[in-house]
Amino acid sequence: MQGNGFKIGLTIFFVGLCGFYLFPSVQNLYVNYKMSNMEEAERVEYQEENRQRLNNLERNSLSLGLDLQGGMHVTLEVEVANLLDQLAVNQDEAFQDALQTARQRAEQEDVSVVEAFVEEFEAANPDGRLSRYFRNEAQGQGQGQSQEITRRSSNSEVQEYLQAQAESAVQNGIEVVRNRVNQYGVTEPSIQQQGSERIVVELPGVNERKRVRDLLESASQLSFHLMANPQQLQESVQRIIDYYEPTAEDSARIAEANAADTADTSAGPADTSGTAEGTQLAASEQEAPNDEGATALTEPGEGETGPQNPLLAAMQPMPRQDQPVFGRVFASDTAKVNELISKREVKKMLPPGIELMWTANSRFTTEDGREALQLLAVQAEPELAGEVVTQASVQFDRQTNEPKVSITMNSEGAREWDRITAANVGNNVSIVLDNLVYSNATIQTRISGGRTEITGLDSRQEAQDIVTVLQSGRLSTDLNIISERTVGPSLGEASTRAGFISVISGFLLVVLFMIMYYRTAGVVADIALLLNVILILGILAGFGATLTLPGIAGIVLTIGMAVDANVLIFDRVREEQATGKTLRAAINAGYEESLSAILDANITTFFVGVILYSFGVGPIKGFAVTLMAGILSSLFTAIIVTRIVFDYMVEERRMSVSYG
Amino acid sequence: MRLFENADYALIPNRHIGYVISGTLLTIGVISLLVKGLALGIDFRGGMEFVVGNTTDINTVEIRSALTETLEDEPEVKRFGDTGHLIRISTTKDITTMENRLLSTLQQQFPDHDVGIEKTDVVGPRFAEDLKRGAIYAVLGALLVIFLYIMVRFEWRYSLGAVAALVHDVTITLGLFSVLAGLVPFSLQIDQSIIAAFLTIVGYSLNDTVVVFDRVREYVNLFKTEPFDEVVNRSINATLSRTVVTSVTTLIVVSILFFFGGEVLRGFSFALIIGVIIGTYSSVFVASPTIVELNRRLEKSAA
Repeated sequence: MQGNGFKIGLTIFFVGLCGFYLFPSVQNLYVNYKMSNMEEAERVEYQEENRQRLNNLERNSLSLGLDLQGGMHVTLEVEVANLLDQLAVNQDEAFQDALQTARQRAEQEDVSVVEAFVEEFEAANPDGRLSRYFRNEAQGQGQGQSQEITRRSSNSEVQEYLQAQAESAVQNGIEVVRNRVNQYGVTEPSIQQQGSERIVVELPGVNERKRVRDLLESASQLSFHLMANPQQLQESVQRIIDYYEPTAEDSARIAEANAADTADTSAGPADTSGTAEGTQLAASEQEAPNDEGATALTEPGEGETGPQNPLLAAMQPMPRQDQPVFGRVFASDTAKVNELISKREVKKMLPPGIELMWTANSRFTTEDGREALQLLAVQAEPELAGEVVTQASVQFDRQTNEPKVSITMNSEGAREWDRITAANVGNNVSIVLDNLVYSNATIQTRISGGRTEITGLDSRQEAQDIVTVLQSGRLSTDLNIISERTVGPSLGEASTRAGFISVISGFLLVVLFMIMYYRTAGVVADIALLLNVILILGILAGFGATLTLPGIAGIVLTIGMAVDANVLIFDRVREEQATGKTLRAAINAGYEESLSAILDANITTFFVGVILYSFGVGPIKGFAVTLMAGILSSLFTAIIVTRIVFDYMVEERRMSVSYG
Repeated sequence: MRLFENADYALIPNRHIGYVISGTLLTIGVISLLVKGLALGIDFRGGMEFVVGNTTDINTVEIRSALTETLEDEPEVKRFGDTGHLIRISTTKDITTMENRLLSTLQQQFPDHDVGIEKTDVVGPRFAEDLKRGAIYAVLGALLVIFLYIMVRFEWRYSLGAVAALVHDVTITLGLFSVLAGLVPFSLQIDQSIIAAFLTIVGYSLNDTVVVFDRVREYVNLFKTEPFDEVVNRSINATLSRTVVTSVTTLIVVSILFFFGGEVLRGFSFALIIGVIIGTYSSVFVASPTIVELNRRLEKSAA
């Protein structure tokens, strides 16, 4: 028994580790059970009070796959071929042919579009230089550009450049998808890159297939938009608030309050001083701490009595004479406001050609850490497409050392920009990507020559964010759904139940069979089996894997196959006993002699698991993971744990163990 | 309880019976594979699959005829569980359009049922191509790795025996899938999960074979004077109890999956049931006889 100290220690360590990882899951189950027994009101209150803790529990628990909890699993692909088409200038027939063939090849073979394109082009034009299509040295100074392609760049340099562009398009796609999903308001969405051109989006609990498809597939393009006239906008805001007003008296009260507000806030836009010669836009930030609008941002609707205006309950209007701001909304309330402002009657009340758009990042955080977004009134028609931007970078003001964004446009864009800024000095302009406003600023002066600066920014980070959007959003990223799997909530529930019943009944039947067949030794094998299931779940929780239906099938299968190692050992012990050995000698021989067969048999199955994992997609990976986890833990429990028990029974307690 | 204790069956001497059984099953399977072929699921072919709920007492034929016109294609319709139907179309048209047409047609035709969509699976042609490639790589990779591992651990004869058993098992299971497709009330199309089931069968069958071979290896050194045939027969008999017990426990769990695991897992667990039975049979009647036959050839050419 002395030599078993290490084994016992190891067992306790593993079991403890699994217990540690499984603890949140068990707690979560308990909390959910408790909440399901509460009254509706009580539950809401409980959730409010323990929001932080509940979120933590949820995050650390063993998560269920979409096939069990219901939801959508969408695989998107970035159209790299279209990207090449957009990037290339001076396109000729050779280019079009190579791109066309590459497109087809990428569909049938395991090759990326960029690789196939370069290969095809080189095969068709042995002396051709790709650099003639992708030169970019004339446009910018190379700064901020990922790579510079000159007339003399080799084809492999161009290939590298194209790959980098494709990579950034995928990154941009992920960013776009994340923003869209956040706007949609899903709890715990997962957005991941798969391979070089694909994005996998998992939306638990979502069943509105059409809406999600439209949301994910629509093309995104960076553009510059003029914004609504603030005075005109204020009239619209008032009309819309009135529209939602429940009673006449309440309406009057709110109108009065708003009128007072409007009169109070007459402060101009942020930083207009130090205007440089003809390049200036000032970012429109109203974040001064003593700003009326900012300090007024409390929990809306708090302390109100009587019928509430649903819009004012979710949104804080921001009446300002000079800014096209519709209102401020807590991030958690955006879905509510979206619903209210998407009504057709309400849209009609906005000034003609104006659309409401959210700011991309929460610029305001209230004292208790809640994020708030602004709703801005933007002209729906873009003035200028983002592709005119050739370069964008963060710079610092020489005197004040404040961060600013410097933008360079191509000659065509510069001409348009000159015209637009000349006609709109004092008006607002916004940088929009995918219906989200990333930056809005006031045009300070007519900007000729194509070099623009955005000043009055808060932080280097803000400047950097704008630059990132300008750089990555120049090119439109087309996303296509190439696979979609959705499971409705009731089917998911049925699958969970079926999986649970299978695990329990499979376990019980195998346990009974083992006891019937091997008596005392069977009981020991059953203890090992129970431990085995706990270890598998612990391994899954520890590695943050999700439990899918095929994963549960893997566990059930493991329950049946895991006893094999013990069957091998026990049968060997019986054989050894039959040759006349003592119990102790028979046990020793049984474990020793069967080890090679157990290892050989399990290693091969483990290899199968590894291969399934590397080539499988989605749910199959879940099966492979549980299969591998099952093999590892069953080897451990069947060889080490049962041995400890037998040693204890035979050597310490001098018991006689029946092998049936 | 003891089964097959001190078993002493003349298995190797009667291996010809096994040859007849295997030969028949293989012939039927291969003919069916050639004539009828295998039905590929949408994973490998591309297309759309919908599961509609609350259609309990509607006939599959009614649904098919109701949908054929609107979908401009005759869909495959199967029962799905107790309350629904599975509808499969091999089109590349817009998902939303097809889904709307399907749902509105069913709601119009069967207004007294609250028909709703429970599950959708859409796989584009390019993605299907990738999944197919992945599956082929997975199967070939698994066979190669297993062959190499057995080569390293055992002699080449054993390797051949093990691989012969694997090919035998997978061919017969595939053959049965081809023969039974359409005859059983659940879907037997080859999709990703069936590939996973096949690889699991490969692993299981090998597990069984390795245990017998391990014993052969041991007994060859122990009973040096006995002819190889008898050593193999003795080894099979010595491990028979274990072979049967493990098969029983595994069969218990895969049958439970088949009956209680829900409609989604039915094809998968069906493949496993067949695989476990064939895999157990093949380690006794295919893998072991193969090494016996190989040994005979070897001895003959040496003499």
